[in-house]
Amino acid sequence: MIRLEHLLNHCKKLRNLSAAVLISVTPATTSATEFDAPWEKILDEAKGQTVYFNAWGGSDRINSYLSWAAKSIENEYDVKLEHVKIGDIAEIVSQVEAAKAVGRDTAGNVDLMWVNGENFAAMKNKQLVWGAFAHSLPNAARLQDSESLTMDFSVPVEGLESPWGGAQLVFIYDTAVAEKPPRSATELLEYVENGGRFAYPAPPAFLGTTMVKQFLHQLTDQKSALAQPVDQADFEAVTTPLWNYLDALHPLLWGKGKSWPTSAEKTRQMVDDGEIDIAISFNPNEASAAVKSGQLPETVRTYTFDEGTIGNTHFVTIPYNAKAKAGAMIVANFLLSPEAQARKADPQYWGDPTVLAIDKLDTAGKALFASIDLGPWALPIGSGKTLPEPHASWATAIEQAWLKRYGK
Amino acid sequence: MIRFTGVLLALLFCLPIAVGLFGTIIPATGLAPELAPGNGFSELFADPRFWPSIYLSLKTGIIATVLALLLTLLSLVCAHGTRLWHWLNGVLPPLLAVPHAAIAVGLLFLISPSGWLVRLTSPAVSGWTRPPDLWVIPDSGGWSLIIGLVIKETPFLLLAAAAQLPAVNVDAALRIGRTLGYAPARCWSRLILPLLYPRIRLTLLIILAFNLSVVDVAILLGPGNPPTFSVFLLSLVSDPDSRATASAGALVLAAGVAIVFCFVFVLEKIINHIASNRRESGQRGRALPYLRKSAQGVVALLLTVSIASVALLFIWSFTQRWRFPHTLPTNWTLNNWTARSGEFLSPMITTLLLAITTVLLAVSAAIAWLECERRGSVPQLDWLWYVPLLVPQVTLLFGWQAAALLTGTDGLWLTVAWSHWIYSLPYVVLILAVAWRELDPNWNNAAAVLGAGYWRILFKVRLPILVKPLCQAAAVALAVSVSQYLPTLLLGAGRHQTLAIDLVTSFGGVDRRVIAALAALQSLLPLIAFIAALVIPRIYTHRRVPV
Repeated sequence: MIRLEHLLNHCKKLRNLSAAVLISVTPATTSATEFDAPWEKILDEAKGQTVYFNAWGGSDRINSYLSWAAKSIENEYDVKLEHVKIGDIAEIVSQVEAAKAVGRDTAGNVDLMWVNGENFAAMKNKQLVWGAFAHSLPNAARLQDSESLTMDFSVPVEGLESPWGGAQLVFIYDTAVAEKPPRSATELLEYVENGGRFAYPAPPAFLGTTMVKQFLHQLTDQKSALAQPVDQADFEAVTTPLWNYLDALHPLLWGKGKSWPTSAEKTRQMVDDGEIDIAISFNPNEASAAVKSGQLPETVRTYTFDEGTIGNTHFVTIPYNAKAKAGAMIVANFLLSPEAQARKADPQYWGDPTVLAIDKLDTAGKALFASIDLGPWALPIGSGKTLPEPHASWATAIEQAWLKRYGK
Repeated sequence: MIRFTGVLLALLFCLPIAVGLFGTIIPATGLAPELAPGNGFSELFADPRFWPSIYLSLKTGIIATVLALLLTLLSLVCAHGTRLWHWLNGVLPPLLAVPHAAIAVGLLFLISPSGWLVRLTSPAVSGWTRPPDLWVIPDSGGWSLIIGLVIKETPFLLLAAAAQLPAVNVDAALRIGRTLGYAPARCWSRLILPLLYPRIRLTLLIILAFNLSVVDVAILLGPGNPPTFSVFLLSLVSDPDSRATASAGALVLAAGVAIVFCFVFVLEKIINHIASNRRESGQRGRALPYLRKSAQGVVALLLTVSIASVALLFIWSFTQRWRFPHTLPTNWTLNNWTARSGEFLSPMITTLLLAITTVLLAVSAAIAWLECERRGSVPQLDWLWYVPLLVPQVTLLFGWQAAALLTGTDGLWLTVAWSHWIYSLPYVVLILAVAWRELDPNWNNAAAVLGAGYWRILFKVRLPILVKPLCQAAAVALAVSVSQYLPTLLLGAGRHQTLAIDLVTSFGGVDRRVIAALAALQSLLPLIAFIAALVIPRIYTHRRVPV
């Protein structure tokens, strides 16, 4: 019997061979992009390329924003941006990994991806990221000097991904329904015990995991362990208060701990429908945007827990086998332009906090940001304290433990 | 040459099926450690989600199929020959054309605690000023999934049964039965069903296989924690570390479907035995007019739910504000359509291009095959076309995806179109085969005597006569292509964002009004095709026949 391994190896050799032939026939056109090449050269190489940007497609505002970006980029740089709408970026990380396993080292399907946290950590670990391209982007000069931009969930970024936006866990509540919303994990439990309606998405949904991390941060007596890799901590001891809390909380949630909202956006919809009182979001300006587009009543307000809530930065990165690397760099750079960042920060379009330092911008850039109207619905500027994300390795550990307890 | 075409067609059809099955078997058995490391079966059985998700799939799949069968029989017995029956025949075909996912979205808008049903009755009747917290949708027991499957599969089975009624001489059977003094229900159970059942059995098995393995509807309407077995497998397959587990699960699913089939066969034997004893008893039974009326009510309710679900998609797609508990939106807008026309356009074009290609390929392949068959160069292989409909999509596509990854053909437009072709060809061949085999050979002979050659006869005589079934088959092919989620997802590598993909991906978070517009758009394409299939043959025939 022919072993499939041999067959696979054979295929791999054949593919490498054909790739080699292609490269030798077409000298240094697409595949030879260097991440530290002069910007002029990148601009040149990118012309005519199509960039497949794999990014979560679950928000219509984000989708609209990206189609606006696609139009601008095509006009300005002759680069075509295709937003590949995906459900969970972890699947794409796996795809790139699968491509590496079968030896598809060039002309991969993914040119740019929206990642952070454990997905970035996994890609860096498995050497699926391309190189320190982020340092070569001209617009990177105006980034904020913040640890959140250089350490992604305690993992050094090292230019392997380029910052795109900021995020912080916030709560959106309807003042017409909830007069005094809970301001800590303990108060939340009291709130649902007294008939308040609340639900959070089940992990591994992104904000479900974040919510559980938030609970853990508030409830554990070993906060310092969270900044270290999970295998250096006594997981049981650190998380026991969390599980005790969730055991009490879950039967009182909307869905009784048996069915869960699929995403944070879903909780926003549920607040609008009156099914629950408090929605969660990772975007301090989400309520503003939602009120303006008719998705939430004008009576909503945004707040955080008194002790603060978890915040982080999200990034874009280029896989090692991307086909249109130069094009991907153009897109990453465009996403950092004051024009793109200001539009992104405007709740009318998306409302995602910027990663640029406003004071480093020129007058025109400053004016762009000054003209954004957040309205009374967004998190008042400077009001929510930010807590750091636990080390990237905690996410998977918490998700698995959660699923084991409540996933049946 | 003719024979070659036939063989080539069969090969093109069988190749992906064979590749798909092997591509699932090999990683599952650990023969491809590079592609899928680990022992698939032991990891699968060790997973805590394994048994709960299997149980959920069996429960939802079997209950939904049994309910669809019962409702179909109920409709036949209680509605046949009434006004309701005429209404059913008019409403069912377009309803069947609406993709599963779209109707599932509409159903969610209808039956959730803040859905239309509650809004219509609140607060006046129910007294609720806020959505009741008595149930949630999707529920953890899988009942919303069951309802979603039933409202979609009952029309399918009922139409299949209705199409077979002339063949079992239903009017004559009813007349004879009534003359002998049997109650109407007895006429059906004693005289007609024993003849009818064998003719709809294959359709029933297709529905059963579908219900046990469906993915997109289960994502939308099924519980998430744990999900149904095939959704659970889909979450594993994209990760190389768990591909072996996913492949092993796909085989378990196929085996599970086969085992359930065996149960059906045994059950048939038992029922048949009991029924034949009862047939000889000679009891006439009594007419049960009240039961009959209430059964009609159940059937009407089922249809109303489906129609309301589709209508709701259109209502939400024009909504600006619609808060609980208003009966209808308080502000209307065109914005959900116009502001996003750009975003809708690209998936719509992708969907249409794939659908039109599928229609052209499937119809011409079916014509070629049936012509080969008619001229005796290939045997009748009706069973073959059923294979992709009876094997769970997950089982076939996991393997096909693995093979596509290996050969670098994933993400190619051709691969996706090929998969759509595989899933629409069965319906097209089976619809056309009836018309093809019934067409009087004398048309052919007459034309030949007048000196026409083969191609001239085909294009000037045979195809024009068969324009009606051809248009119907084309509409069905289009509907099948538009609704394909899993093949497009797994083989498309994210390169082909169709409406079906957009709808399921964006469902989690996107604005409900936009979701509604997307689902409405996805329903609209096959609906237009169905109307065209009704209108085109009339215009065409009218033009050709001099008055």
